Amino acid sequence: MTAMHFTALKGSIQRLIRNLQDLGYTVVGPSISEGVVRLRELDGPGDLAVGVVDVQAPGSYALGGEGRLLFSSVNGPDSPKGYLHPANVELSKLVDRGSGFELVSGFRPGRRYAFFGIRPCDLRAVEVMDRTMLVPGFEDHVYSALRKDAIFIVVNCTRAGENCFCASMGTGPGAESGYDVAITELPETILIDVPEDNTALFQGIELMPATEEEIRTGREMVQLAAERMGKRIAVQNPSKRMYAALDSPDWGKVAERCLACGNCTMVCPTCFCNTLIDRTDLRDGSVSRVRIWDSCLSRDFAYSAGGNPRLQRTARYRQFVMHKFAYWPDEFGTYGCVGCGRCITWCPVGIDITETVNGVLTDKRAAVKGMEAGAVV
Amino acid sequence: MSRQALHTFTRGTVCGFRRETPDTFTLLLDLGDGRTPAEFMPGQFNMLYAFGVGEVPISVASSGREKQLMHTVRSVGRVTSLLAALESGSSIGLRGPFGKGWPLSEAKGRQLLVIAGGLGLPPLRPVIAEAIAEPDRFDGMKVIYGARTPADLIYTYEYPRWREADGCDLLLTVDRGGGDWKGNVGVVTTLFPKAGIDPKSAVAFICGPELMLKFSILELTKMGIPEERIFVSLERNMSCATGTCGHCQLGPLFICRDGPVFSYPRVKGLFPREGV
Repeated sequence: MTAMHFTALKGSIQRLIRNLQDLGYTVVGPSISEGVVRLRELDGPGDLAVGVVDVQAPGSYALGGEGRLLFSSVNGPDSPKGYLHPANVELSKLVDRGSGFELVSGFRPGRRYAFFGIRPCDLRAVEVMDRTMLVPGFEDHVYSALRKDAIFIVVNCTRAGENCFCASMGTGPGAESGYDVAITELPETILIDVPEDNTALFQGIELMPATEEEIRTGREMVQLAAERMGKRIAVQNPSKRMYAALDSPDWGKVAERCLACGNCTMVCPTCFCNTLIDRTDLRDGSVSRVRIWDSCLSRDFAYSAGGNPRLQRTARYRQFVMHKFAYWPDEFGTYGCVGCGRCITWCPVGIDITETVNGVLTDKRAAVKGMEAGAVV
Repeated sequence: MSRQALHTFTRGTVCGFRRETPDTFTLLLDLGDGRTPAEFMPGQFNMLYAFGVGEVPISVASSGREKQLMHTVRSVGRVTSLLAALESGSSIGLRGPFGKGWPLSEAKGRQLLVIAGGLGLPPLRPVIAEAIAEPDRFDGMKVIYGARTPADLIYTYEYPRWREADGCDLLLTVDRGGGDWKGNVGVVTTLFPKAGIDPKSAVAFICGPELMLKFSILELTKMGIPEERIFVSLERNMSCATGTCGHCQLGPLFICRDGPVFSYPRVKGLFPREGV
């Protein structure tokens, strides 16, 4: 089905949010909280972060003044991952009735999410998660239940953030598929792409068929954002070459700066690693089986009775990057990185994953054993 | 609902407890929900759950021909020390079976080499049981097993039966002898030249510490056994067992889902390799 293009007044996004709420969706969108644009459940259109500019750099994030556009800020630390693969979710509750334990309750989804104002890279990140969490025969029941009812109102980027590199990953700055509505904000109006007839969403909104010129203007603004993007992965389809770079000494050099804090994996829109823990309740003796996010940067992440294969921090940092750029394509048929740049912004020491990847890929001394370069535990 | 689901446990009631060594014990379990050991293939594993504490991945040690599910566990952490304190009649939770087991069909008509180090023997015990029950499926079996000391050898009460079985040879070694030990002293590979291995026929199933796997593979390939006829069972941290938690990854492989048993060419280059 070919997309339909309309324009509407900028103020109509308020009605669009209310329409989504009337349809029973919990609307999740960018909202300012403690000086950061977070993805939050919106009580109403008034909660939406509008006209605010974010200034990002490696290890740095600040809101800086007013923008001319409603959607002036790019990505904050949150992505749909936090809602579809929650950081903390009870999988089951068990009680011991004396003759052994019994299941009292399992996970039940309580929300239908409408993601409003997320960016194309995050939409692609959801497609990546679809592959990691919905492997045939191993479907994750939590993700599956939350994902199946979710809809996506994506906003194409007409400004690249300072740490963005989606253009080189082929994941942005414009959304090509997978959305329910795609918005491109033009100087005076918003351009709306709807892949199918979804009139219920637009009740009470005056939609005008978009002119060829408006559609072209929208494309050019997105194209300009791609051209102005400052960071990139310099090699197309780097997976095979990454395997060959496993022994680069650059890993050790970068890992010397790494604090192994795991921030990169928490803000990453595709990192899925987690751990099951038991939370016991002394009041009634019940046990909650809870799944929490975990990080391959954590020292004991790979620890087992047979030993810890990644005791060295170098090995753990390398695992994080190799997983995204080498292993993921072999595991899931897609890269694990969508170029959102969050791991650069939210790294407390400003490690830049594009520098790491470009560095190990162009390193001619890769034959030297990289692990010896940085035996950092 | 899938039996592998993260929140669904089968009850296992302890009907037998055997101390193997000072730190290792064997649990025999009667299963709830009408389940039988025949559902668990040699080389697969289960997640054993101690209520309120957590789960551990443990290989299936019983054969499908036995009445009870058997797990042999070394007490090293929180969950396993609780399992060590179980008494007859108490129950645990169980999820499984998970993973891909030993490809017995690859050894059909061939000499079967069962090579184990330490606690690598339990996942191979059902293989031994199969070969003993149906000796005609293979062209003989060599069980080559090493432990740290004579006191660390497990399943000693089964050795007489293994030794008497048609076509089965059992070769033992320990890293450190002592006491009245008159057998071989040295790593498992020191037994290879004495074992009557036929490189033209042999198929090797190996499980044990990574170093032991590494040197066993090296020696077997030197003897002329092609890599495609070498299979290893790998160990990693596991939390979900369904390929979702990420803990067990080895390069692009999930040990829980793609393994734990792999043909050596599949993992070569990633294993054994420091820090991967």
